[in-house]
Amino acid sequence: MMRISNFLPLVFKNSFRNRRRSILTVASLALSLCLLGLLMAMYEALFYGPDPTPAQAVRLVVRNKVSLAQPMPLSHEQKIRQVPGVEAVMLQQWFGGTYRDARDPNNFFARFAVQPQEVFSIFSEYSLPEAERQAFVRERTACVASRTLADKFGWKTGERITFVGDIFPVTVELKLAGIYDDPNQNEVLYFQWEYLRESLRPVFGGEMDMVSQFILKADSPESVPRISREVDEMFAVTPFQTKTESEQAFVLSFVSFLGNLKLFMLAIGGAVTFTILLVSANTLSMSVRERIREVGIMKTLGFTPGIILGTLLGEASLMSLTGGLIGCAFAWALCAMISSAPIPFAQLRGLALTPLITLICLSIAILIGLGSALLPALNASRRPILDSLGHSG
Amino acid sequence: MTETVIQTRGLTKEFIRDEFHVVALDRVDIDIRKGEFVALMGPSGSGKSTLLHLIAAMDRPTDGEIRVLGQDLRGLSDREVSYWRNSHVGFIFQSFNLIPVLNAIENVELPLKLTTLTKKEQREHAATALKLVGLEERMRHLPRQLSGGQEQRVAIARAIVTDPDLILADEPTGNLDAASADEALNLLAKLNRDYGKTIVMVTHDPHAAGFATRVCHLEKGVLLESLQADGS
Ligand SMILES: Nc1ncnc2c1ncn2[C@@H]1O[C@H](COP(=O)(O)OP(=O)(O)OP(=O)(O)O)[C@@H](O)[C@H]1O
Ligand SMILES: [Mg+2]
Repeated sequence: MMRISNFLPLVFKNSFRNRRRSILTVASLALSLCLLGLLMAMYEALFYGPDPTPAQAVRLVVRNKVSLAQPMPLSHEQKIRQVPGVEAVMLQQWFGGTYRDARDPNNFFARFAVQPQEVFSIFSEYSLPEAERQAFVRERTACVASRTLADKFGWKTGERITFVGDIFPVTVELKLAGIYDDPNQNEVLYFQWEYLRESLRPVFGGEMDMVSQFILKADSPESVPRISREVDEMFAVTPFQTKTESEQAFVLSFVSFLGNLKLFMLAIGGAVTFTILLVSANTLSMSVRERIREVGIMKTLGFTPGIILGTLLGEASLMSLTGGLIGCAFAWALCAMISSAPIPFAQLRGLALTPLITLICLSIAILIGLGSALLPALNASRRPILDSLGHSG
Repeated sequence: MTETVIQTRGLTKEFIRDEFHVVALDRVDIDIRKGEFVALMGPSGSGKSTLLHLIAAMDRPTDGEIRVLGQDLRGLSDREVSYWRNSHVGFIFQSFNLIPVLNAIENVELPLKLTTLTKKEQREHAATALKLVGLEERMRHLPRQLSGGQEQRVAIARAIVTDPDLILADEPTGNLDAASADEALNLLAKLNRDYGKTIVMVTHDPHAAGFATRVCHLEKGVLLESLQADGS
């Protein structure tokens, strides 16, 4: 019997007959599918990122239930230590401030005031020469930085690093005591909590007794949910209620600080898909309707309704598939750009247009093409010959 | 007697649309034999195109019998009718009806897409047909790059490329100047004379009818006596 390839040149020529409209249709499909692909890739990177490492799996973060920006009393620490299964507790204070020129986003990275004795046992995946670790514990103004961060700025041990505070009205002047390796390659700098507290004493006229987070280490991944529940229950009737979550969940709540990111992304994705569906449905069905007379000619030559339906649908899916492929290529490039850009979220460094996402995008593209052409194509293919021929369009 | 290619008995076609009721063909009996070149004449609205469409199975009769090339057309499904038309009938329109995005040879190849011929064979058949109509120099031209007469010759090539037994033409010279019309008519006459094609051509033009071997007249859907034209 006849081969499909017989009709491909015809399909191809017809698809791109109206050059300007074809380009616009393909471009709008490409743009929307690029956006959709990017959103899906972000969604996947954020919410289905790589499994936690063993060290991450036993870490929890305690924060104020109200929001990330609200601190908690230091006195919580003693009570948290008493929860069964908690092996270690460390406070962690977010120090905003600016490094060098704040206008350059490259100068933005996480700086925490922590207890230097605890940080390397809680973050057991960090590795640091023992001498450097001791120097960090010993000197009040010492700090340590991840290798990713140190490499970015070309820091060597002994480097003087100054942060001008914004949340805290002090300037901290630090000396780099060590550079540690972090398998997750986060850009983080730790300095001593005691140093921050000391600097703030004259400003506050007293002790600082609040902190932004506690990091806990559980004895096993299994006790993580229970510890999280018990800690929060313990403070449920105090003025400072807490929210305790796994480290991964915590990072996400940090990312979605400004709102419900998940819902937001789903809503945008849905709206985008729906919009292209409408726009391209209109253009694709318009181009089918313009062809009614030609359908009549082809039927006169012996083309059956089935073959005509096939060619019309083939044309529509060729257009939408072209749009989808271009869109995916752009999304792929954007993912590559974002994941190598200096952004403070390690999650987005895994951003990639996976084969599954590509497949989903392309399927959506084809479905849009088929879906919007189906009705007009069915109509055109079933129309009696003489009706079609009489149709001037 | 040579075999009968087209035979109708009591062939009737009515168009009913709302309160309008038009009898386009009224009990037409006609016999057309193999190798005839029939000119179908008559005033506007007399049912000439309707008869041609019924012969090509592009429409179905309201009543009566119609056998074309030994086939009872009423017994075929829409799909079967498509394949039957592809292999047995070539149709030529007044307005050429070429596909504008395809060049001359691609237009001529189009009916062959439905056959089992290889790509190479399709190309060769189409080239032969174009050569026959004298357009071997214009194979890569798009319809809009051709004159009306050349377009109609491409359409004729498309109608004969499957080597059909029957060629139906609905006012093929209606859109052509006198010289181009004569070229087209000479081609049809040659196809009839040298290749034995049976041809039914609708025309208003007595000069065009002069190329035919027989002239039939329709009047308000009724077939008047058919005259044997003199000539070959
Ligand atoms: N689809 C249709 N619906 C309703 N009436 C129709 C239809 N097609 C043809 N008719 C009517 O049938 C009659 C015959 O039409 P037909 O087209 O066969 O005439 P014709 O002889 O080809 O005329 P012309 O020389 O103008 O082409 C006309 O009265 C026409 O109005
Ligand atoms: Mg007519």
